[in-house]
Amino acid sequence: MDLIINLTINGLATGMLIFLLAAGLTLIFGLMDVLNFAHGGLFAWGAYSGLWIYSQTGSFLAGIIGAILTGFILGIITERWIIKPVYGNHVQQILITLGLMLVLSEMLKVIWGPNQIMASPPDYLKGSWELGSIIIIKYRAFIILVGLFIFAAVQFVLKRTKIGLVVRAGVMNKEMVQSLGINIQKVFMFVFMMGAGMAALGGVLLGPYSGVIHAGMGMEFAILAFIVVVIGGMGNFKGSVLAAILVGLSGSFMAYYVPDLSLAVNMLLMAIVLIIRPQGLFGAKG
Amino acid sequence: MNKLLTLDQVETHIGQYHILQGVSFEVKKGEVTVLLGRNGAGKTTTLRTIMGLNQATKGTISFKGEAIQTLPTYTIAKRGIGYVPEDQGIFAGLTVEENMRVAIQTENEETAKRMEWILNLFPDLKKFWKKPGGLLSGGQKQMLAIARAYVNENELLLIDEPSKGLAPIVVEKVMESIIQMKDQTTIVLVEQNFMMASYIGDCFYIIDDGRTVSHGSMKQLKEDEEMKRKYLGIA
Amino acid sequence: MTAVILIVAAFLVLLPFVYESRNLFILLTQIFVFSIFAMSYDLLLGFTGIVSFGHAMFFGIGAYSIGIFMKRFEPTLGYFLLAVLMTIALTAIVSFVVGLLTLRLKSHFYAMLTLSLSGLFLVLAEKWRSMTYGNDGFTFRVPEQFIDRTHFYWLCLFLMVAVFLLLKRFTNSPLGRVMQAIRENEQRTESLGYHVLHYKITASVVSGVLAGIAGVLYAVSLRFVNTSVFTMDITLDALLMTIIGGVGTLVGAIIGAGIIEFAHDWLTALAKEHAIFERWIIFFGIIYILVVMFFPKGIVGTLSSLSWKKKKQHAVKKEEKMAG
Repeated sequence: MDLIINLTINGLATGMLIFLLAAGLTLIFGLMDVLNFAHGGLFAWGAYSGLWIYSQTGSFLAGIIGAILTGFILGIITERWIIKPVYGNHVQQILITLGLMLVLSEMLKVIWGPNQIMASPPDYLKGSWELGSIIIIKYRAFIILVGLFIFAAVQFVLKRTKIGLVVRAGVMNKEMVQSLGINIQKVFMFVFMMGAGMAALGGVLLGPYSGVIHAGMGMEFAILAFIVVVIGGMGNFKGSVLAAILVGLSGSFMAYYVPDLSLAVNMLLMAIVLIIRPQGLFGAKG
Repeated sequence: MNKLLTLDQVETHIGQYHILQGVSFEVKKGEVTVLLGRNGAGKTTTLRTIMGLNQATKGTISFKGEAIQTLPTYTIAKRGIGYVPEDQGIFAGLTVEENMRVAIQTENEETAKRMEWILNLFPDLKKFWKKPGGLLSGGQKQMLAIARAYVNENELLLIDEPSKGLAPIVVEKVMESIIQMKDQTTIVLVEQNFMMASYIGDCFYIIDDGRTVSHGSMKQLKEDEEMKRKYLGIA
Repeated sequence: MTAVILIVAAFLVLLPFVYESRNLFILLTQIFVFSIFAMSYDLLLGFTGIVSFGHAMFFGIGAYSIGIFMKRFEPTLGYFLLAVLMTIALTAIVSFVVGLLTLRLKSHFYAMLTLSLSGLFLVLAEKWRSMTYGNDGFTFRVPEQFIDRTHFYWLCLFLMVAVFLLLKRFTNSPLGRVMQAIRENEQRTESLGYHVLHYKITASVVSGVLAGIAGVLYAVSLRFVNTSVFTMDITLDALLMTIIGGVGTLVGAIIGAGIIEFAHDWLTALAKEHAIFERWIIFFGIIYILVVMFFPKGIVGTLSSLSWKKKKQHAVKKEEKMAG
């Protein structure tokens, strides 16, 4: 029983990190029809910049905020100078975002060196709570809470604010949104910025969770996020959180019972979804 | 001068196709101008070109005396043109309320007044206020689309075939509402239904093969059997 | 154009007789191998408009097939051929299945599935230690016919030219023309009555098999294989070579392979002097982005469209003269 709870918490925490990455991917895809292969790079940049600020200031909170700001800035740059010039051409878009991914991860190595960097949580998030025989590691609970908070916040923005309304309308019909007097380019920029910020947040949270960060982590997590986006339905925000939890849990349980097969199981899940429900497991399109 | 909108020799290409090859017309303030013509003549493209959804490759479009053919769509809309596309462009996953909220550019007394007025005109919208737009009937979607275009203080409404695919009784309702709006705004209407066009229109332009070929007052057209047969296929 | 290629080919064939530099021949062999790999990628990207981010998996399948066969059995020509057959079968199956799953969907899906699937192959190569010796990989002996570097150099050169001619014919065949029509406008091709999916899958399979062959040659040239053959870097090599050289031209893939491999060699040497050159790939990343943005046809495409314009101007002038 304890084992199952532990594995579940583990899976939820991983799922939340994947969700932070997948949320931006799926929103950007839904609205702009752009699949951003550089998203993992933004994740890794969040980790490096955030942990660097954390190590310089001693404040984990400052690190988190720094990571999110880094994400925002990189998001704006990416949208404005890399993706905007090739809007509408799918092949060019896909190619250019992968090129950016390459440059982003190499830049990390140039600035912070090619080796792994150690990371540990701040003191107040170290250790664990014991509830009877159940041990809950604080930092994992923290990640889950942050993930839930972000989910709720994004959900609030999408449902309750004008910009969120415009984003949802834009997913359904971009031309009409513009015909109503809304500058969709600004909306694109906003969504891209938010997506990049969430990815960067995911990255900085991952550091103390896995103990080390390295430049390749962006790609590793991006692969999981792509699987999640396919399973959840491309462009479906709610679907992405459910799929992220599913992938996180399956990863955590498989990693315990049959570690070698954990990626394979997720891939299999994705392949099945592609065969039977290419629009994703959760709900209809939109 | 009371010309609100002027198109002068406008040409539009879509891909390799030369759709509009010289469309010229004038819209006078306070009038309903009807664009007539066969299927595929270029009426919808004309409206889309005014909105900037298709780029005019030649010619000028001026609205309130200023050239707008190079502006992006959202700026054109903001200058005071409301657009009801052929497929109505309802955001299917948003509720009626949310559809309206997306449309309102700045919430103020004026838009609140207009909202109230239009909802009185279309009580169905009030009834399905919290229902997704995708669940509305064809007529209700049309009403929602018109309401959305009307709610901002637009000086000009472009309405593309509001009678398309609707039952005659619903067409009457929509027609009635457009007549009600006539007093407050200028309207450009694309319409295949000649009955409806002749009932609400003040003047007409006929577009054929991407060109404006004829125009006049609606009264003249009603009497000109030859013209009707030649361009509209009605006797 | 053909004349230039023939002269270059003849020069490369004769080179070993007049010049002796082991390093140069190893480098050139590498270029030939990667040219085959990049051309196979060009068939997908340049001729059919399909983006794959997992081309390394076919390369890796080839490399491991030959490695495992040579290590487990005898390093003879017979087993070599068996390994090649194995490579062809495996790559054909994998590319067929991936194509079947994703090529009816938007282009993003193929890119995504190939990316994640090649990630899976990488994990498989790391974990299946009894077969692959994990991360470190293993060395193996090659059939005696391939031991002589010069012979192997000729073999790779010959194969590169053969693949080039084969793909040239293939892309000019009715089948290849349909593929290019798909690249230009998929819907129109479909509405003309072509079963687009069949053609795309065919391109995917041919490309996958050729990439596998390149992997075989790569492993034989090194006499060593490790998990790096499945990494993103290999896929990126193909992308950089094809994009920078020029998509949809085949020659561009060869030129791209030459540029990247030479630059790699040169910049690695420079890395001893300054550490920034260890990150040489970053320069190519930036060049790559600029090429995609501003010269989507790459070096070869841009040059040929320039010379075409010149020719046209020339022709116009001629006409004017005649008229005058």
